[in-house]
Amino acid sequence: MTHLLQIEDLRVTFNTRYGEVTALDGISMHVSEGETLGVVGESGCGKSITALSVMGLIPSPPGRMAGGSIRLNGEDLTQASEARMRELRGAEMAMIFQEPMTSLNPVFTVGDQIAEAIMLHQNVSRDQAFRDAIALLDRVGIPSPDVRARDYPHQLSGGMRQRVMIAMAVSCRPKVLIADEPTTALDVTVQAQIFDLLYEIQRDFGSAIILITHDMGAISEMADRVAVMYAGRVIEEARADDVLDHPQHPYARGLISCIPALGKGDLPDTLAEIPGVVPPLHLLGAGCAFADRCSHRLARCDSEQPRLIAHGHHPAACHAVEEGRI
Amino acid sequence: MTASFLLRRIGYGLLLMLGVVVLNFLLIRLAPGDPAVVIAGEMGGATEEMLESIREEYGLNKPLVVQLGIYVGNVLTGNLGESFFFNQPVATLIAQRILPTILLVVTAQVLSILIGVFLGVLAARKPNGVMSAFVSVFATIGYAVPVFWTGIMLIILFASVLPIFPVEGMQSVKLRDANLFVQMLDILHHLALPAFTLAIIYLAQYARLSRASMLEVLGSDYIRTAKAKGASQRTILFKHALRNAALPILTVAGLQFGNLISGALLVETVFNWPGMGRLAFDSILRRDYPTIMGVLFFASAMVVIANILTDMSYRLADPRLRGKG
Repeated sequence: MTHLLQIEDLRVTFNTRYGEVTALDGISMHVSEGETLGVVGESGCGKSITALSVMGLIPSPPGRMAGGSIRLNGEDLTQASEARMRELRGAEMAMIFQEPMTSLNPVFTVGDQIAEAIMLHQNVSRDQAFRDAIALLDRVGIPSPDVRARDYPHQLSGGMRQRVMIAMAVSCRPKVLIADEPTTALDVTVQAQIFDLLYEIQRDFGSAIILITHDMGAISEMADRVAVMYAGRVIEEARADDVLDHPQHPYARGLISCIPALGKGDLPDTLAEIPGVVPPLHLLGAGCAFADRCSHRLARCDSEQPRLIAHGHHPAACHAVEEGRI
Repeated sequence: MTASFLLRRIGYGLLLMLGVVVLNFLLIRLAPGDPAVVIAGEMGGATEEMLESIREEYGLNKPLVVQLGIYVGNVLTGNLGESFFFNQPVATLIAQRILPTILLVVTAQVLSILIGVFLGVLAARKPNGVMSAFVSVFATIGYAVPVFWTGIMLIILFASVLPIFPVEGMQSVKLRDANLFVQMLDILHHLALPAFTLAIIYLAQYARLSRASMLEVLGSDYIRTAKAKGASQRTILFKHALRNAALPILTVAGLQFGNLISGALLVETVFNWPGMGRLAFDSILRRDYPTIMGVLFFASAMVVIANILTDMSYRLADPRLRGKG
């Protein structure tokens, strides 16, 4: 089966002062038209690197695509020329970034910035592009869009700026929309509005969405399928309900148990957490990267990398799950 | 850009000029030397009575505060006084020389900003590339070498080795009667070396500054956004990045304008350019108080005007500053 976007065994490395480190170690994931893939994991586990790899925006050097493929409609993006990538970026695939406060250019009006995206990929006049930009601002729920289009980013609130970013990203009706923690910098009520908007956009445009987040609540609302990442690998992948209801990997279990259950009796005195932090990439050994933080650690976990294979419920990369111990 | 902002800036500028006038007056009186002795020396031999009568004539025997009051009063009514040495009104002396100085300073400023920023952008495109190394070395040399040395080296080069630019003066005597267009070309021809000499220090500085500023901007989130849109590298460099990187460059350009005017004094002396620099030099040697103060007055006025223009261009370039006082 071919998917709209298919990442196979992607390896990305970075040259650092500790030598070459592997930021993505053979990850595979896919997303189809109209589908939302959630990518979850702690900071530093490779979520954003995955997104930037797809967009071809890995800073190089020091970054390098060391292997694998990223296929969009069958075309391998890892082999595409820079000119071809420029054609695709913004048109076929677009990205919404984490920081709406700093992701817009402060010296151009938001209307101009959206119009620029349109003019880069469509053969329309400046005036037409600006009118389209106003229509897009209206579409993403910005009041009096014809006035707001002439505003500069600093005149808008964080939520409005993220709406502008979304308008810019969807201006050419991309097939793949990558949202990299689109709501992290926004307050909770605005977060819900942004997710609603993304949902509507997907319904109208049929885009595939890759939603990168560490917010399991967002996953349960938005995602059809989920890939859980840890230290540059996908360690569990399944339908969102399965991962949420029956997490397999101890790390996924940890993430889910960290969600405080509201409205189910008293809140616990302390919030659940996963002890420890993601190990620095240059210190990764031969075994499972999660072993040091894992309460189900086996002897082979230190020496042998678990593979992402289905055991019972759905695929997870864990020896303990594989042996039926948890 | 609001008119009230502009009016307020002009108001501040005028107040500043008044302060400059008072300060100049006091500073020059602090310096050693007596104009009466110089004037008497020009006339050949000086008795105490003669010095006294000269002081009387020029009002130099009145108390300092009274002299200051008279001078400020005169300046406020547009009278800069008579030169002790040239026996002409100071205003006339300056009027004859201010245009060449403005021409030299503005040309040097424009040259240094245009070339410097262009080099800086090229360097920032590949921060570890050859161009970047060249800009760093060139900037260090340009900054370290004194302007009179550069000038003299250029004079040697273009006077003997490669005589394509005139090395002295502002106009050729034989073209004085030619038509206006030919005269203008002639002036530009003469302008090349002095303007380049003056520009070279600042050019190096702008190159370095714009390299640093561009590198910082190129790392920012909105540049990533522009790349994600599919913008080309040239669009990203010259549209998205440069407009933002220009803000610190503008600030420095405004501040440098004063230094440029003092640099012009040396360059004018080396190239015998008929501007205010020569006038300042001559009048300082001769303790010609009114002329020195007149030159300083106009030099400060140019700096104040340059700063107002900088403020205005800053607000044009950065929308976040508009609507603020």
